[in-house]
Amino acid sequence: MRSTFIASCAQVVGAEHVVQDATEMAVYESDGLAKLRSTPGLVVLPGTAAEVQQVVRLCHEGGVPFVARGQGTGLSGGAMPHPDGVLIVMTRLNHILDIDIPNRRITVEPGVMNIEVTKAVSSQGCYYAPDPSSQVICSIGGNVAENSGGAHCLKYGFTVHHVLGLEAVLPNGEMIQVGGSALDPPGLDLLGVLVGSEGTLAVVTKVTLRLLGKPAAVKTLLAAFDSTEEAGNAVSGIIGAGIIPAAVEMMDRTTIEAAEAAVHPNFPPAEAVLIVELDGAEAEVSALFDHVETVCRDVGAREIQVAKTDAQRARFWMGRKAAFAAMGRVSPSYYVQDGVIPRTKLPEVLGRIRALETESGLKIGNVFHAGDGNLHPLVCYDDRIEGQAALAESVASQILTFCLDVGGSITGEHGVGADKADQMPKMFTETDLDSMQLVRCAFDPQHLCNPGKVFPTPRLCGEVPGPYRAHPIERAGLAERF
Amino acid sequence: MPNNSLVLQVESHVGANSAWLGGEGDTIDGMLPKVVAEPKSAEALTGLLEWASQEELTVSVRGGGTKLDWGGVLGAVDLVVSTAGLSSVVAHRHGDLTATVEAGATLASVNEALGARRQWLPFDPPWAARATIGGIVATNDSGPSRYRYGAPRDVIIGVTVVRADGKMAKAGGIVVKNVAGYDLSRLMTGAFGSLGVVVDVTFKLTPVAPASGTALIELGSVDAMAPIVADLVSSDLTPSAIELQWPPARLLVKFESVESAVESQADAVARLVAARDASCRVTVHRDYQESTLWEDHAGRWNQPGTLVKVSTATNAIVPTLIWLREACRDRNVAMSAQGRAALSVVDIRLDGAIDTQAQLIQELRERFEVGAGSAVIRRAVAALRQSVDPWGPIGDGLRVMQAIKQRFDPDGRLNRGRGPV
Repeated sequence: MRSTFIASCAQVVGAEHVVQDATEMAVYESDGLAKLRSTPGLVVLPGTAAEVQQVVRLCHEGGVPFVARGQGTGLSGGAMPHPDGVLIVMTRLNHILDIDIPNRRITVEPGVMNIEVTKAVSSQGCYYAPDPSSQVICSIGGNVAENSGGAHCLKYGFTVHHVLGLEAVLPNGEMIQVGGSALDPPGLDLLGVLVGSEGTLAVVTKVTLRLLGKPAAVKTLLAAFDSTEEAGNAVSGIIGAGIIPAAVEMMDRTTIEAAEAAVHPNFPPAEAVLIVELDGAEAEVSALFDHVETVCRDVGAREIQVAKTDAQRARFWMGRKAAFAAMGRVSPSYYVQDGVIPRTKLPEVLGRIRALETESGLKIGNVFHAGDGNLHPLVCYDDRIEGQAALAESVASQILTFCLDVGGSITGEHGVGADKADQMPKMFTETDLDSMQLVRCAFDPQHLCNPGKVFPTPRLCGEVPGPYRAHPIERAGLAERF
Repeated sequence: MPNNSLVLQVESHVGANSAWLGGEGDTIDGMLPKVVAEPKSAEALTGLLEWASQEELTVSVRGGGTKLDWGGVLGAVDLVVSTAGLSSVVAHRHGDLTATVEAGATLASVNEALGARRQWLPFDPPWAARATIGGIVATNDSGPSRYRYGAPRDVIIGVTVVRADGKMAKAGGIVVKNVAGYDLSRLMTGAFGSLGVVVDVTFKLTPVAPASGTALIELGSVDAMAPIVADLVSSDLTPSAIELQWPPARLLVKFESVESAVESQADAVARLVAARDASCRVTVHRDYQESTLWEDHAGRWNQPGTLVKVSTATNAIVPTLIWLREACRDRNVAMSAQGRAALSVVDIRLDGAIDTQAQLIQELRERFEVGAGSAVIRRAVAALRQSVDPWGPIGDGLRVMQAIKQRFDPDGRLNRGRGPV
């Protein structure tokens, strides 16, 4: 990287916010997916949106690739740095800018942690719905990039359903406002495209989020089953009865044991547990909760615990949210997979995963967002044993094939990133991918913004044939755009 | 090209008796297309658009024809594609609460099919019997239930489109949770067909609630509306709709749940309103009475005149309505309003001289900063849509939108002039 370029960046963000030292740089080599790493050309930590814009402008002028990074908790290598590029670390943009309770809006900088949003408005009876398991350490900017979900997205949707406005720096250094405090901004749904674009279209510098009012009633139960099939039947029974719970989570024996070893949630020993949470109006929750209990018993639940206090509910959730990290207690290494299937295919796909476990000799733990069919198989291996890491990766990849065989997706929430770019052609045709890349070319024709992610091969953007054709109203001189 | 040979050419792609020369019933914004085609399959549509691309024809799309007077005035049209031949429910995966439906299916027919399993596509925009899925998606149109269940862009999970170059592409899929690739489904939603012709759409569905009931709040004046809406929103009630009508100033608050929850929540509305403003009258409507109430509400969209969708921050909608009332009164323009009170997305109906309406809409727009509010003309006579940009200021995202349009449709042949870009 040219020293004049580095000096220009330092001038923008301040020399103390530039990292060049190899040891310090090591922290930034990977995100949560540690197997994919790369040393960035330069790390900068801008403190304001204007500084972000200036850095991006310098990159644009110099043809230097750049990657935005939040807290680095992503699990698909989406924030893996470019070896010849600038890593723009957004953690200093961590201010809550505006809280507007009457309009149920909050505007934050992207470096604000997910949990901080709810904390800021909790005393006023509000909360921010998307709650990824990493919510205490992940930032809103990363949530926007990944369109993060969480345990409660079955009822409340994903990040895209809760973002009302964005300020973003385009790859050419231009800053745009998309949406805002009012719904339905005129024009194409740029919010819909930007959220979940994994940092490949722009760098987001400000986010306006929708807040929800806390529900009148929340009831949570934990049901233990003798098989994952029974637990799966319970989920079908609940949804089949027309009930949309706030959350339905399933853990199998391997992950229950791991969670027990790590955080002692005191789950009953079982082949599978379900956590079912209902929320809403008092009368509705109590009527439907009875129904959920009946369904669980009818399909053979051996034990049902109903959370009587908030502390007990928190204990259920602690067990669930700790599941990934807890695998470290039962296995030296593990590979976290993220795939989606139509929920009704759960028994079929679980059966195939079990057969694969036997065949490969690697233990596979399973945690599911069972309500929406999002699987998180955890493939256990020992990286001290030669070849096991590669085997685990191939097992994890086969599980994605099972998902695709039943019409599912290669990722429900962790993103494609660098990790699954080569899996995209298994899910999409060349034309499908080409159409997505038309959007990429519209935003970033030079491929400077987080290059090498999402798509297996970049599209040559070329020049668009012919000049832009003005709207007939513009042509008629009756209106102009600005 | 002689006209009859044009029909034959089109029929070579879409099959016999599936194309005709444009006639009186086929005009859009007064423009007569050369030819109309009604493909019966995605493949036929692909072949048709590929040919149209080679022939450099301008193309427009028509579903149920309920919104042909929405959006920008069409710039040119050689070929109209009717989606009437693509009208089936491709799959209803009731256990997964999803369905894939073709663009030409009417909302009513889709919901009739889904109703067999006590599920529905939770949209209730106007004209459900004629409005098609393709048109509803293209305009991202919604109805009262948007308050709880969202707009089309919120429940769409997959889409198949044919691009301007005749290539078929899909995005998303059939699962409710999916972050693989860019979200072209949302990009297509509300694009007024400017980026591609939608073939089919996959949605997340909602179970039909066992009971419903509506509290009708009759307000003494529109000024009483804002505090009551604020109370409703900040309460822990879970209505599926909070609609306003004006005049007369009324709020309709709908609950869909189990019987006990419907009853108790409707009663809670009465208590909440009584505590705020004793001059308001609340009655709870059930069964036939309730459906009549909602049919009357939907009927408000049938009244003639311009429809302008006004969207503001929550606490700005009533002041905006009051300003509009005064402005309309001064200029002899009739005005009424109906829509999503709690989302602050309200349709204003205007009736009066075209240039006066145009001026009013411009003044209304000047009240909003970009992002904090908008006034988009939905339905209007072509003359009005010609004299004032239907979309209003789009802001600095416009250049990106134009770039997207250029990439998808470099020659600007698809629904030229109709969409926001």
